[in-house]
Amino acid sequence: MTELQAGEGAQAVGIARPRARPRRNRDVLIALIAFIVLAALPMIFSSKLLLDFVIRCAAYGLFATSLNLLVGYTGLISFGHGMFFGLGAYGFGLMMQKTGVPVPVAFVATLAITFVVAAVIGAICVRLKEIYFAFVTLAFQMLIHSTILSWVSLTGGDQGLRGGIPRPPFLGIDLSNHHHLYIAACALLVLGLLLMRQIAQSPFGYTLRMIRDNATRASFVGIDVWRAKLTIFVLAALFASTGGIIMALFVSGAYPEFAYWTISGEGIFINMLGGVTTFLGPMVGTVLLLILNDTVTRLTEYHGIVLGIVILFFAIGLRKGLMDFVVEWAAQRRGKAEERAP
Amino acid sequence: MKRTRTTGVSRRSTLALMGAGAATIAMPWVARAQAKTIKIGMPTILSGRVAQLGTSSRNAVMLEVEKVNAAGGLAGRQIEMVIRDSKGQPQEAARISRELVNTDGCELLIDAEASSGAFAVHEVARDLGVFCIHTNSETSSLTADPKQHIPNAFRTARQGVHDSIVGGSYAAGIAKAKGLKKWATCSPDYAYGRDTTGEFTLYLKRFAPDVEIISDSWPKLFQPDYTEVVTKILQAKPQALYSCLWGGDLTSYIDQANIYALFTQMEVFAVNMADYTALTVVKNLPKGIHSGNRYIKTYPGTPENAAWGDAYKAKYNEYPTNWSWENATAIMLIAEASKKANSADGKKIAEVLRGLTIKCPFGADGTVTMRGEDQTLIGYAIGWGTTIPQEPYVPEVKAGDWKTILELEAEWKKSKGYT
Repeated sequence: MTELQAGEGAQAVGIARPRARPRRNRDVLIALIAFIVLAALPMIFSSKLLLDFVIRCAAYGLFATSLNLLVGYTGLISFGHGMFFGLGAYGFGLMMQKTGVPVPVAFVATLAITFVVAAVIGAICVRLKEIYFAFVTLAFQMLIHSTILSWVSLTGGDQGLRGGIPRPPFLGIDLSNHHHLYIAACALLVLGLLLMRQIAQSPFGYTLRMIRDNATRASFVGIDVWRAKLTIFVLAALFASTGGIIMALFVSGAYPEFAYWTISGEGIFINMLGGVTTFLGPMVGTVLLLILNDTVTRLTEYHGIVLGIVILFFAIGLRKGLMDFVVEWAAQRRGKAEERAP
Repeated sequence: MKRTRTTGVSRRSTLALMGAGAATIAMPWVARAQAKTIKIGMPTILSGRVAQLGTSSRNAVMLEVEKVNAAGGLAGRQIEMVIRDSKGQPQEAARISRELVNTDGCELLIDAEASSGAFAVHEVARDLGVFCIHTNSETSSLTADPKQHIPNAFRTARQGVHDSIVGGSYAAGIAKAKGLKKWATCSPDYAYGRDTTGEFTLYLKRFAPDVEIISDSWPKLFQPDYTEVVTKILQAKPQALYSCLWGGDLTSYIDQANIYALFTQMEVFAVNMADYTALTVVKNLPKGIHSGNRYIKTYPGTPENAAWGDAYKAKYNEYPTNWSWENATAIMLIAEASKKANSADGKKIAEVLRGLTIKCPFGADGTVTMRGEDQTLIGYAIGWGTTIPQEPYVPEVKAGDWKTILELEAEWKKSKGYT
């Protein structure tokens, strides 16, 4: 490291600390505004399509952004993240169907189950690197998927959880009312994103980036790499599980497809589409994919070809996600403008 | 300078986005304003390995809709079908169904989904209260389980338990006549395969108590290689084999089992054989396979059924499938109920539909009935026969007795705690 670079580093660290609080306040403010805008949408547009769209965005957005905590921030390419999406949907659905506990209790209990399962699976997986990690996560996903298929008496097998998910009203919130469900999904989305943003911007988040860039160096600095990886694996699982809960509420059921590898594949695809270098990349990817999916399936049954071409365009043409591209483009413009400025 | 430019671009694009958004959201309202036609939404599977389910369902529906429209439509309103692909994903089936009703303005739904997708659409029907006919899901519990029951959902698909009763009694007759005591089963490893096989053996043993199952195989759905399964069965040396493999799986299985001359060594009962999707694809169709009818234009052996099969073939250049008759029946029932109610309103159609009997080419006695109590179809043609390698493929079909079917079905429902 040259003296100049070292100096820059010291400066960056020096600035980062005092800036942390205002940045957090800014995030909270943005989250609040986002929530107010989302909550006001149904008053402006009466379209139910829009409500359904935002609810699905919330489910997939939380799932994809949590996957990015692993892929983009920690360098853990998980091919099995969908298992937690499925676990959330099944855990919540079963809890509501079998026990009849209030919705918040089922919500917390589902997260607790996810926590335990993710800790066990994570403890095994995060010891591995790169392709081995990817494949072991995929293997666990298939294990969970097969369990759902074969445990017919509990899960209903390949027919899924039948008979609808009961949702008794709590604290004046009635999730069987579509508008209430919409507001709840928006709140979970905004809160989830805000929490994930705080994780990403915290010193722990920077530890993750360090592990991604050079795990050996992180280890030499004194970081317990295994513990850090396990922590983020479990945290990401909790957010994915929340996404699954929203999806279960939306379709009023849970189906084995929620825990199938294709869901994980969609998560990876969303990340590719939106970009992994910015926090909101996966959220943008989610919106893009869902718009693309909804419009293309409306127009043609050959949607596979269209989506394939889009993937090719992003993978070979742009070679990065949309948000990566936008950020770079903005930076370039800024650079040019600064050059031109007197 | 720098700031002005950046903001300018973003404002412009924001405006453009907002404009596009507003246009997208406003569009359905424009579409709805023009409605004199009645829109029927149909989520189904049009891509992937079971795309034929969707295409043959769609073909049959369009064939019938044209007739209804030519005769004046539903209470004077022309039918417009809005058919979308769910790709076999339940969450997509749910989303599309909601979109069809909420945005496209569909007033009735035909749910041509399979298995879990049908349950997802059922929940949408429960939530939105929209009239819905399930046309492809044969899972008995969809209508038999009172927890599933909603007044606005019906089913025109055959039911798993009906098939098992008829299959079990037919197979028991042959077993007794030919002394077939040692049986093997080979069915796909998922709910349909396991349930159907379980119910078939239940009724087989009920009618022929000395039958014994000596081997069971559960190949995976869409498994390409059946060598292991075929050799396992041959080693067990059963006198008869039951299978509920279907479509491409059944044809691959037969082609591969033919190499081992399996069909000359035992009696084979394949419930899904007598469907053109399997009959016309198998390379060397063995003679003498026992099969339940799925769709075959020679059974029921009436001019109406033959004419319907031929009309379909003439229009689409292929034979109809089991899914085709189930979907065509849905349109026939809707049209008749609408005529009786003199309305295209879902609620009024539903009221008339409960217990309605109509003339139908697929009826065992020329009619089918939408049973009122659980809103599922009864009286459709159901029977078993043996194959020959060329048309008509299954020359003689022994009809199932609906009186026995209904008695045993009631008993089965009781045993499941449904009544």
